[in-house]
Amino acid sequence: MSVKYIPVQWVPTKYVYDAVLLVCVAVYILVFLRLGTPAADFTRPVDGAILRMRAFGTCAFLMLTLILCIGPLAQLDRRFLPLLYNRRHFGVLTALVALTHAVYVLNWYYAFSPTPPLEALFYSNTSFGQFLGFPFEAFGIFALVVLGILAATSHDFWLAFLSAPVWKRLHLLIYPAYLAVVAHILLGYLQDTKNPTFALIAGAGALGVAGLHLAAWARRPEKQASQEDWVEVPHWREIADGRARIVSLGGDERAAVFRGGQKLSAVSNACAHQNGPLGEGRIIDGCITCPWHGFQYRPGDGCSPPPFTEKIPTYRLKLDGERLFIDRNGYPPGTAVEPLAIPEGALR
Amino acid sequence: MTERPDSFFIGWAPPPRRLRGFLIAVVLGLLALFALTSYLTAATQDDPGDGAFRFDWGRETVVGVLQAEPYPVLHVLESERFGQGQALMLSGFGKRGVQDRGDPLDGKVVEASGVALKRGALDMLQVRGGAEGLGPLEGREAPLPPVVSLGRWRITGEICDGKCYAGAMRPGQGLAHKACANLCLIGGVPPVFVATDDIEGQRFFLLADAEGGAVTEAILDQTATLVEIEGEVTRRGALFVFNIDPQTIRLAQ
Repeated sequence: MSVKYIPVQWVPTKYVYDAVLLVCVAVYILVFLRLGTPAADFTRPVDGAILRMRAFGTCAFLMLTLILCIGPLAQLDRRFLPLLYNRRHFGVLTALVALTHAVYVLNWYYAFSPTPPLEALFYSNTSFGQFLGFPFEAFGIFALVVLGILAATSHDFWLAFLSAPVWKRLHLLIYPAYLAVVAHILLGYLQDTKNPTFALIAGAGALGVAGLHLAAWARRPEKQASQEDWVEVPHWREIADGRARIVSLGGDERAAVFRGGQKLSAVSNACAHQNGPLGEGRIIDGCITCPWHGFQYRPGDGCSPPPFTEKIPTYRLKLDGERLFIDRNGYPPGTAVEPLAIPEGALR
Repeated sequence: MTERPDSFFIGWAPPPRRLRGFLIAVVLGLLALFALTSYLTAATQDDPGDGAFRFDWGRETVVGVLQAEPYPVLHVLESERFGQGQALMLSGFGKRGVQDRGDPLDGKVVEASGVALKRGALDMLQVRGGAEGLGPLEGREAPLPPVVSLGRWRITGEICDGKCYAGAMRPGQGLAHKACANLCLIGGVPPVFVATDDIEGQRFFLLADAEGGAVTEAILDQTATLVEIEGEVTRRGALFVFNIDPQTIRLAQ
C-alpha cells in the first residue's frame, strides 16, 4: 500500500523474493552452459550463441510455466500465497530473459547477411501455408511483445490508470502468450531435436499449467441462481473469528462476510488494488487484509485506514431467525454500515 | 502489528513463523527444479556433427577450373590440401555467395584463396574479397570435367544451405535453422541436398533445376524439412548434382 507512486515499494519480502528469482535464473544458465552442455555427446561443440539462445529460451519457458502455476496453486493451497505476492517482478524478469533469448537469435541466425536483421526476421521465412516449416518465430515475437506490454504496465500506476478490471483483462493476455510460446517450441526446437527429453519437460510443464487451472476451476464457489434482493449466507455460524465466507450475489459479483469477534460485516470480495479475493484474507489489527498484497480495509465502512485512500463497496446484513441474509444491492465504496451483532449463543 | 496465530501471509510484514519452513522448502525445491531442468535440457542436445571452419588449416590457396552454373564450384588442379579433381563449392563472407564474381570466370582456370569448411565429404571454400580471393590465372587452360548422367532418382533428404551445413554454424540444419538457411540461400550460398541414405556412394548433392541452372527461389518453402524429390543425378568430376523438378517436392512420410 502506498499514498504515492514510487518505482518499487521495496519491503524485505520483495528483496528475498527477487534474490531467489535471480539465483534461480543464474543457476539455470550456469548449469546449462557449464555442467549440462559438457555432458552432451558432441563431435564438435555447438556454437556459443546457439547454446545461449537455448539456455535463455528454455529458462524463459520454465519461468512462464511457473508464473502460470502460482495462481491456481495459491487457490488450492493458501501456503503458496507468498509466491503470488511479488509475481509481477517474476513476470518482468521473465520478459528480460525472453528478450535475451531473442537478442541472441537476432544477432546470430539473422546476422552476417546483406539484409538487416529486423527486416530479415519478417522476410526470410514466409511459409505460412504449411505446418512443418511454419515460421515459428512469429509465435515467439507475439509472446515477447505481450510479455513486454505486461512488464511495462505492471506498475501500480497503470493499475490505477486503467482500473483494476481493465488491467486484469489486459494481463490475461499472458494465456495467449503462453499458448504462443508452446507453439513456438512445438514448431521450432521440438521439430529439430531427436532426443525426447525436452519434449517431455515442455509437455509436463504445459500439462501442469492446464491441470492446476482445471483443479482450481473445479473448486470455484457456486454461482447464485436466485434474483431476490436478500441472499442467504450459508453456514455462517462456521465463520471463524477474523475470517470470512464468500457469497455469490449473482453474475460475477461476490461479497465477503467477515466475523470480527461477535460482529459480522460484509464488503465486496474484490480488493480495490488488483481485485484480489478479500474473502480469503483475515482481519489483522482490526482491518480486513487482502491475501495478495496486504491492502487493508475497515470492516465497518470499507475504507483503508489513513493515510491510505482505497475504498470498497459495503453491504447490509440481517438475521431472520437463525438464517443470515445479505442485501445484494451494495452501497457505494466507503459507505459506513453498522456491523451486525451476533446474538448470544448463536455461534457453535 | 500483532503476532498472527496462523500461517496467513502479508507481503509487507515478516512471514508467519508457521510458514517459514514451508517457504524454505519451496525455495529449495525451485532451485532444484531450475538446476535439474537445465541439466537435462542441456545434456540431451543433439550432436551438431563434425562440420567446422578449418581455421586451424590456415589460409588455403587452390588452383582449379571454375564452374559457374548452377553455383560456383572449383574443380581442383593444384592444392596442398585438396586432391586433384576434388570439387570445392565456393561462398563469400557471411551469408553471401560469389555468383557475381564467378560468372565471368566460367570455364577458366582460376586461383581461389580463403578459409576451408569441411563436413565429411562436403568441402567448401569461403573466398577472400577481391581478385586475391578469386581471380583468373592468365596463360593456363584446362577443360571442365564432362557431365555424366546417373539416371533419374527419387531421393529423401533435407535441403540445406551448403555453408552452414558444412560447419559455418553448428548445428547448421533443421527447422530451428530454417530462416538462417533461407537467408544464406537468398544471399547466393549454394543449396545442398543431404540424403538420408547413400546414393551411388554419395550423401551430399549440389542442387540445380532440370536445366542445370540455379534453383534457389523454388525451394525456399521446403528447406530444413525432410522431403522427397524427383530428378536426375549427374556427376561432373567429383561433383554430384541433383537436377530436380521443384514440382515433385513432397514432405517425406
